[in-house]
Amino acid sequence: MTAKLRTSWQGLRYRGGGTMIAWLLHRLGGLAMVVFVGMHVFASFLTQQFGSDVGTAMNIVYQSPYFQAPLYFLIIFHALNGLRIILLDTFPKLLEYQREVTWLQWIVFLPLYGLVVFFIIARIVSGE
Amino acid sequence: MEVKVKILRFNPETDKRPHYQTFRVEAEPTDRVLDLLEKIKGYQDGSLAFRRSCAHGICGSDAMRINGMNRLACKTLVKDLGKATITVEPLLGLPLIKDLIVDMEPFFEHYESVMPYLVNDEPPPLKERLQSPEERERFDDTTKCILCAACTTSCPSFWANGRYVGPAAIVNAHRFIFDSRDRAAAERLRILSDQFGVYRCHTIFNCTLACPRDIQITKAIGEVKKAIATGSLD
Repeated sequence: MTAKLRTSWQGLRYRGGGTMIAWLLHRLGGLAMVVFVGMHVFASFLTQQFGSDVGTAMNIVYQSPYFQAPLYFLIIFHALNGLRIILLDTFPKLLEYQREVTWLQWIVFLPLYGLVVFFIIARIVSGE
Repeated sequence: MEVKVKILRFNPETDKRPHYQTFRVEAEPTDRVLDLLEKIKGYQDGSLAFRRSCAHGICGSDAMRINGMNRLACKTLVKDLGKATITVEPLLGLPLIKDLIVDMEPFFEHYESVMPYLVNDEPPPLKERLQSPEERERFDDTTKCILCAACTTSCPSFWANGRYVGPAAIVNAHRFIFDSRDRAAAERLRILSDQFGVYRCHTIFNCTLACPRDIQITKAIGEVKKAIATGSLD
């Protein structure tokens, strides 16, 4: 077990490049969705069944821009990375151009995420 | 020039866990990391343990993590690392024996599991089993593997679960699956469609980047995945 933990820690320091970072972000995105959906279901349950303040407090947390900005980052990245993997798995010939495909993914991702950040900031500024 | 070589050391007889030791070595920019290790072992600390054999990038004995990435020590020049301190660590995911030596047995067990040899029970022709240049080209890339384990031990899926067959075994299966003279492709594809087969590959590309022979490993894995999914070798 200790050896496994040591491998995991040293593995995180492995210099795999952009595609390894993409894989790590993909995994984090999956976890983020589980946390978000879990919180959402649990908060709804608490609020509807017991009129609980805890449910309302949880709603406030995941509706805050500090929660939503990183969440949107991970979800949009997860979706685009998934599409990249499906594309490469379907057409293995493209795997030779994995570096270019990864750059393409970032080129699509950045304006999309920029748009989301714009809407989040606009909402803060308008005081909604 | 003087180079600092920081080595992750482990002696199973005296150490509870691995620890770093730094050596100062006089080196030329054109020296290889293997030359530095030889100098340390020869003149500073004879107890340093590492594998080497041909020292020319063919035998695959001296794969290790150099500055955080799997490479062959005999093919890595000091000037290409571009740092005053060179960090050398053993391969990840295989049991550590001593210093830079890991137990390669699990790696070779996976290799053997994919039947890495030509299978053809048909009566042999009068001369050789003929193959066109195009048929040979189909698997040319995967014939270059030297079994150094740099790919398999760079793979996070393998770190997470040592039962995953790993990129090197899939590359060597690919070499025979797409060989027009071989007749055991279906059997190999069955082995690789197992839960610890090709689908443990999450297209991370560490293997392709680590390969000292520049084999397009992730592409080979992708072709095997597609052959399993479609049932066709075309």
